[in-house]
Amino acid sequence: MEDAHLIAINTTEPMPKLTIDNREIEVPEGTRVIDAAERAGIYIPRFCYFAGLGAVGACRVCAVKFKDGPVSGIQMSCMVDAADNMVVSTTDAEAVDFRRHVIEWMMMNHPHDCPVCDEGGHCLLQDLTEACGHGIRRYPGKKRTYADQYLGPLICHEENRCIQCYRCSRFYQEYCGYNDLGVMGIAQRIYFGRHKDGVLENPFSGNLIDLCPTGVYTDKPSRYTGRRWDFQRTSGICIHCSLGCSIKTAARYRQIVRLEARHSEAVNGAFICDRGRYGFFYANSDTRPRQARVDGEPVGPGQAAAAAVKRLESLTERHGEQTVAMAGSGRSSLETLAACTHLCRIRGWRGPVFQGGCGAVVRAAVCRLSPENAVSMHEIQSADFVLTVGADPVNESPMLTLALRQAWRKGAAITAIDPRALDWPMEFLHISVCPDEIPALLRNLGAETDYENRNSPYPQKIEAIQKQLEKSRRPVVVCGTEITDAETVNAAADLVERLRAWKKNIGLFYTLPMANSYGAVLVNDHPVTPDELIDQIESGQVNAMVVVESDLWETYPDRDRLTRALKRLKLLVAVDCLSTQLLDYAHIVIPSLTVFEAGGTYVNQEARAQWSNPAHAGGIPIKITGNNNHPPRVIRPGIPGGDIPSAWETALRLAGIEPPADSERMADWMVRVFPVLEPIRDPVPRGARIFMPESRRKSEKSIRTKAVRGDFMFISAAAALGDEPLSSHSPCLESYFRPPELWIAFSEANTYNAAEGSAVCLDVAGQRLHLRLRISENVAPGVLLVYRHPGMQWRPSDSQQRFYVNRQQISISGPCPDNEDKDKAGQ
Amino acid sequence: MHSRVLLKNQKENRIASIEEYRQDGGYEALENALARNVPSPEGIREILLEANLLGRGGAGFPMGKKMSTIAQNAPYPRYLVCNADEMEPGTFKDRVLIHADPHQLIEGIVLAARAIDAQIAIVFIRREYENAARILEREIKTARDAGYAGKNILGSGFDCELIVHRSAGRYICGEGTALINALEGRRANPRQPPPYPTTRGLWQLPTEIQNVETLCCVPHVIKNGADWFKSLALTEEGAGTKVFSVSGHVKKPGCYELPMGVRLSELIEIYAGGMATGSRFKACMPGGASTQFMPESMYHVRLDYSELANHGYRLGTGAIMVFDHKTCLTRVTANLMEFFARESCGWCTPCREGLPYILDLLNRIEAGEGKAGYIPMMQKMCDHLNYSYCAFAPGAAAPVESLLHEFKEEVMAHIQYGRCPFNSDQYD
Repeated sequence: MEDAHLIAINTTEPMPKLTIDNREIEVPEGTRVIDAAERAGIYIPRFCYFAGLGAVGACRVCAVKFKDGPVSGIQMSCMVDAADNMVVSTTDAEAVDFRRHVIEWMMMNHPHDCPVCDEGGHCLLQDLTEACGHGIRRYPGKKRTYADQYLGPLICHEENRCIQCYRCSRFYQEYCGYNDLGVMGIAQRIYFGRHKDGVLENPFSGNLIDLCPTGVYTDKPSRYTGRRWDFQRTSGICIHCSLGCSIKTAARYRQIVRLEARHSEAVNGAFICDRGRYGFFYANSDTRPRQARVDGEPVGPGQAAAAAVKRLESLTERHGEQTVAMAGSGRSSLETLAACTHLCRIRGWRGPVFQGGCGAVVRAAVCRLSPENAVSMHEIQSADFVLTVGADPVNESPMLTLALRQAWRKGAAITAIDPRALDWPMEFLHISVCPDEIPALLRNLGAETDYENRNSPYPQKIEAIQKQLEKSRRPVVVCGTEITDAETVNAAADLVERLRAWKKNIGLFYTLPMANSYGAVLVNDHPVTPDELIDQIESGQVNAMVVVESDLWETYPDRDRLTRALKRLKLLVAVDCLSTQLLDYAHIVIPSLTVFEAGGTYVNQEARAQWSNPAHAGGIPIKITGNNNHPPRVIRPGIPGGDIPSAWETALRLAGIEPPADSERMADWMVRVFPVLEPIRDPVPRGARIFMPESRRKSEKSIRTKAVRGDFMFISAAAALGDEPLSSHSPCLESYFRPPELWIAFSEANTYNAAEGSAVCLDVAGQRLHLRLRISENVAPGVLLVYRHPGMQWRPSDSQQRFYVNRQQISISGPCPDNEDKDKAGQ
Repeated sequence: MHSRVLLKNQKENRIASIEEYRQDGGYEALENALARNVPSPEGIREILLEANLLGRGGAGFPMGKKMSTIAQNAPYPRYLVCNADEMEPGTFKDRVLIHADPHQLIEGIVLAARAIDAQIAIVFIRREYENAARILEREIKTARDAGYAGKNILGSGFDCELIVHRSAGRYICGEGTALINALEGRRANPRQPPPYPTTRGLWQLPTEIQNVETLCCVPHVIKNGADWFKSLALTEEGAGTKVFSVSGHVKKPGCYELPMGVRLSELIEIYAGGMATGSRFKACMPGGASTQFMPESMYHVRLDYSELANHGYRLGTGAIMVFDHKTCLTRVTANLMEFFARESCGWCTPCREGLPYILDLLNRIEAGEGKAGYIPMMQKMCDHLNYSYCAFAPGAAAPVESLLHEFKEEVMAHIQYGRCPFNSDQYD
């Protein structure tokens, strides 16, 4: 769809032809001269100009001379659109002299502290100061100095280095819509920071590090780890949600040092979210499993796999093939998912159960997405109306928030149908309804309008959406899968189909629970729910389990039942790169590589299969082997801990197949075994798209629990940080985790006569939760909303996203004990 | 003596009342234009265009021409902004005009609003002009009660609400596009046209911004016609009168309304009472701090926009700052640069960093620590200030440029003797 779009631009739009430094260039209309030059390989210096943020002409360092054509004289190349007959010189003496002068001005107050600056070595100011020829300081005056601020655990602030390019304040306030960081003062006293020290509120704040052309904002966790040239830098894919943003990985001394955003036109543009940027610490963790064990005894990974094969064979001989079940999850690479599925198939085991990839809702989303309706995040930015259904991008897939905001900034209306108290950095119409009501609500929208005969409880708001749909030319429906059911997912797709018949250029955008949920559905046609699995263990049908990169502990709410079930198992083989609770119950543990060491293909929620390169060879970080001393004192051949196989290698070994030698051959193997994956062989730079073949599209039905009149619906919702299994291992993100809170509607709180901050005790699914009450007018009545966090260790399984809770199961006991403590401390 | 137009109602120590304003033909033009539609809105625009009424805020852009850039089918609501953010150093005419005859301004605003069909008129007033703001608020109420403002003015069906908005107080707020940002609650950074404010100004809607003095001229132009207005001037190209704010080494500093094209010498010697005792004319700034120094050779020049432009100068706001032979112009320039360096909005590099740079060099020269190399450095820097984002920095560079051009010997003397030559008795 995008390619067609681009070709359309190329053929029908006028293409201005201009000359830059004696080179003739043809560019699409509306291209700035600075970009036109870059297309021709001529780099014009810039500080304030950043493609993702647009041009403002503040820094004046991109000055060039216009010698002929509609514009003349020295002008800023970022502020002028390319036009026919322009003759531009970047090397004109006056322009060169002016640019040198601009740099001199910028360096007047710069501290010249490059040797101790973390930006040194990849600093745009350093590069351009050199390039523009300002070498000798002439300014005889003193330098202006500032106080730095504490901005939280992620970003260091050193304002003295600032050259006032305004990138940070524009990104923070205009692009993202957060206001706690910005520009203050005027003239030379201008200051970029917060009104006072404090943790940045913007969940995309890490981009300040990438954006800042000098060392004002630098990465805090990676301080003192090296210069950029010390790092192994590779391009990768972020796996902390289903969007699949592009990242740049920096590794040194066998650990990941930091991540940066990598430009991806269709997916994330130039930025990434903080969850993605700082979620990698699991890969460096001291507690990461690095030693294969059989019954607690350390062995080599190959021996452990051999032992597993032997024990599994003896079990299947006794109890039949179906006595073994296999589980995995959507956080694995497509290679691992394919290998596991194949292993299950040829051995005749049960499953696989892919957490975040086998529920009806995810399957429905994958089956309903088609080449005709799928849109990318880039395309969402040019939508004129976005309807989000059961999606909370800020918490579920953060970068989508920025895409929605860019659409809103260009004038799109945003409407959200969701039961949660949405806190988005833009204006939107919020229709807060219980998830059960959403499908009926969507069915009331569409081509033919007949409001009176509709029995919708929200006639006015529905009418407002209908009007927007009628008016818009490029609407997009965004549908979440975290708190919705298959019926909602289908209703969203049906709505898109009705509108397409109405000749709307409409797009559909699903968000999925995990990085490779889509891939999991592509390879695996056998949906088994975790509940069924537990039932089968309890009934003795299943005696052995092979679990690859999945933690049932996290996914199954009833811990007691799960513990009993796991203890019944005769054999539990766990393969993982995370130290999960499940490993404590496993008889055989085989460590696996992370995406940074093994690489992997990930299919994002819009069917885009993207390859993530391995960032380094793996092994135990030198920090650990050297006991925090550097350099290592013991020199040995080989890499310590470098014998860990990837999860797919282990899976194939368990299947008795010798793993392919490299990723290319692995791809060949995958395509041979799973023909649906054929597009991954296609070297499309943006990532090949893999849609579900027509023959395999099934209509998914929702499993609904019956509600008793007056029951609450309990929703456990994703939280931006602390919920996603990988990034919750990052120590630097811990302070951002939400406290355990129960959100209810204002009207419900009134019936309980409860005050904000009260302590709440809630019994659900065999667990007792102690929470603090939050009251919001935006939460749908009849809903109990809990944002997940690691302390609560609570996550719904795919089939049990929502429960009904009897009103008797809640007790509210006045002010929260924590509050009282605080009050006392305050006194 | 030339007859006064804008200041004819000026009273000693008090403001003119609405009755006093009306006695002398005040609000006649408004009554005709609104109650009888003579002239019609198009008529008003035509007369203003023909009268060659130039914007008195400093740029001297023809008011009629600016109005004609608002298209017939331009969206609504449209805004008229009266720029009373008088912050150009040496300029105080707007304050005098408001204090003298506020209804003249109110009538001008409503007529101009009528011409472009603006329902909302905002007086953006300098924060230090609290008295003037209160006067305007009170007199706007009086005018509204008399039916000259507000809803359905004089039964014409035309509405015009007048709002007095106090500036948060920065020089740059007087720049039209920065003023719009300030009104919208943003940082007062200028916007780079196009689009011009008349196409997309306040809240992205058509906005006409005019200076107080320009708007004060409007009722008289509409009432008496374009030819009358043009005949007021002493030069061919000029039109109307100009209120000059005279300050510096003269006997009687103050506000003088004189015909456009009056000679500088006449202004100083006849109206401002001549040079102060013991002072000889050395130079003056013709239009506020962001214009060049005019040396003695220009003493007899006619003060008119085109006349000065022909000689390479700018009439600006008509704020004549006179300096005598004992004044050190390096020190004067450093003083002005201190103001500009402080008032830069901080948006673009040349202005934000270049002005403090020049200030530092000037201070060093004045303190006797200057080097000969500083002069070409400053000259180059002034050239490069022309490539900044808005007109602020080029304006700030104007006095420096003329100092280095016309009074280079003075500057060189500082460097040569290692001290300011005006600190001794040698020039007395």
